[in-house]
Amino acid sequence: MARQTRRELLTRVAPRDELVNVPEFEAEAERALAADVFRQIAGGDRAAFERITFRPRMMVNCLGLDLSVDLVGQKLFAPILVGPIADQRRFHPEGELATVRGAGAGKAAMVISSRSSQPLAAIAAAATTPLLYQTFAADGAAKLRSQAQDAERAGCTAVVLTTESPDTSAGRRRTATVDWSLVDTLRSAATLPVIVKGVTTAGDATTAVSHGAQGVIVSNYGRTAASGQAPLEVVGRIAEAVGAQVPVLLDGGIRRGSDVMKALALGARAVLVARPAMWGLAAYGADGVQTVIELLQTELARVMGCCGTPTLGAITDRFVHVHGPVPASTSDQER
Amino acid sequence: MGPIERRWQRGPSRREALASLAGLVAGSPLLAAQRDPRSLTDHRRIPGFAEMTSVFDFEPIFHANVPQTVYDYTAHGADSEANIRRNRDAFGWVDVVPRTPIDASAVDLRTTVLGLSLDYPLFVAPTALQVALHPDGEVGMHQAATTTKTPFIISNNSSQPAEKIATSSSGPAWFQFYPRRSLDESRAIIERVQGAGCQAIVVTVDQQATFYERTQHLRNLGGRPRTTAAAPGAGAARNPYRVSEGRLWYEWNYLDRIRPFIKGPMLVKGILTAEDARLCLEHGAQGIVVSNHGGRSLDYGPSTLEVLPEIVEAVGGRVPVLVDSGFRRGSDVMKALALGANAVCLGRATRWGLGAFGPPGVQRVIEMIQAELVAAMAAAGRRSLADLDRTAVRVRFS
Repeated sequence: MARQTRRELLTRVAPRDELVNVPEFEAEAERALAADVFRQIAGGDRAAFERITFRPRMMVNCLGLDLSVDLVGQKLFAPILVGPIADQRRFHPEGELATVRGAGAGKAAMVISSRSSQPLAAIAAAATTPLLYQTFAADGAAKLRSQAQDAERAGCTAVVLTTESPDTSAGRRRTATVDWSLVDTLRSAATLPVIVKGVTTAGDATTAVSHGAQGVIVSNYGRTAASGQAPLEVVGRIAEAVGAQVPVLLDGGIRRGSDVMKALALGARAVLVARPAMWGLAAYGADGVQTVIELLQTELARVMGCCGTPTLGAITDRFVHVHGPVPASTSDQER
Repeated sequence: MGPIERRWQRGPSRREALASLAGLVAGSPLLAAQRDPRSLTDHRRIPGFAEMTSVFDFEPIFHANVPQTVYDYTAHGADSEANIRRNRDAFGWVDVVPRTPIDASAVDLRTTVLGLSLDYPLFVAPTALQVALHPDGEVGMHQAATTTKTPFIISNNSSQPAEKIATSSSGPAWFQFYPRRSLDESRAIIERVQGAGCQAIVVTVDQQATFYERTQHLRNLGGRPRTTAAAPGAGAARNPYRVSEGRLWYEWNYLDRIRPFIKGPMLVKGILTAEDARLCLEHGAQGIVVSNHGGRSLDYGPSTLEVLPEIVEAVGGRVPVLVDSGFRRGSDVMKALALGANAVCLGRATRWGLGAFGPPGVQRVIEMIQAELVAAMAAAGRRSLADLDRTAVRVRFS
């Protein structure tokens, strides 16, 4: 076979219909993007998810399976939102406009970064599902006030305050002391509910809520966490602290419907999916974003059907078992 | 994540397969110079029947004998196949506690399960479409099972009629049944198979919403369009989440409704929690099969070995507890028995035997496991099932 054809085979992305799960989109995004661009959205920390198995219950009627959930006054089709990522034109010529069309086609709400590469008004005009607007605490009170007003004018349904400061180099974040008064700033600038993103302790969650936050997002910005500190491992404590008052969302590492189920079982109301949406965007544009969302929805529905939980309200931690470290195998086991 | 999973995830297979094949052929000495002899490292030989030393030896021969799709139907598990791997890993988390060995001739594994007098606590598990493995199909499997004095559980999705299978051999046969929404249909099937001689009904209650990624990959390779029929129980109406509702209707009172149709024992297969084991008893089950369908039901479900102790405790000896999913060695069987199982069902192991060498292969596989079980018992100084309790193993589940 000619050398050139072989190279084409290796670099052209596969037909979207051939992909059967979300992790497969990562390889296609790698083919579609320059190496240094792909690196910014590559990977993800799934270690905590791998340490959890389900406790499935049989013979529970799951006809009329319902994945809908209420979130800050909006009824969502499923508990899976597209998470915020800045400057999406790095990954596709239409950037956020393609993402929001794909999210809408997949019936998923979307969080728009205040560092988007398309104007908020244009994104809002293309949206058919709820939009949330992500702001950065590091931008300061004045900027936040005007951003909150922009968000309200554009028809967004909530403002997300990101407590950590962004940094353009991949994966590196500066931890700053959180200025909780900015929550009050946002609340006074617009009537939109404020959700605080970047909470990793019950203490922070409680403080956020005491300043009037109407939701928290457990997130460590896609970094690999120290053992015991991954979002999935702390979401339970945070849900215990504030879950009765506000929704707790989880961000980081979601690649499968079973991951979503585990997050919900441990206390999350919904999850954000950021990098995988970008994989879909890079390789297939709006259609790719839609397929990534739909795969996660379908997988979640399957897991719920197999576990015997017909609605999200039925999902509790009784349906999961969190395992300790994998014991060493002392016998020579063939597979 | 193992190498197979990684390969599937980096898919699609067709592209990479084509590309690597192109490279292989281009660089091959066969094309360049038509040289012989092959190098020593190229040497391969398919081992003969007499060279089989463990159940694992049968697998590559089965693979060589059948088309890729047939092989994959046996091999696949749900989604990323993490559950299949966990089933095997779990045996590595259970150690046998040493005791003064006894002679193999002193080991007696006889037991009675639901009226069947068994020389070994082993069953052939129900698995579907066996004629794809060998022309003798389920009839051949049943005959081999009878030769080894092992009861045979006929799959609801057999490639031959249950009547033909049940009457093909004198050994005991049970029937595995998938719930049907129509009570009339349920009754008709149950009465027909019982009339043919099936002595018990095993109701499978898992795989409510399963998907096989590997099957979908194969369809992609064959250029067939995406379809939800890559899953068992598919074909019924789909909900807004694109999941077939064909098996989402199951309820515990279904067992109450079909119980009157069943003359002998009713067992429930697919139980993975103590709570469900208790519900089985409440709804009239005479036996429970702890099973995750060979890793083919829920991908991040537990291994059967991990949940066996809690189910045995919940049942408290009221009914027999069988177990399947992942058993390949006599020592695997011994561990499950020590944790309280009354018997073990063998699925893929028997399929490998049938696909590799036909009915003699099945016989050999079962005899191997029987012999390994005796050897494992003897080495651990345990002379009978009564002697084989929790003190025989040390468990390191987390």
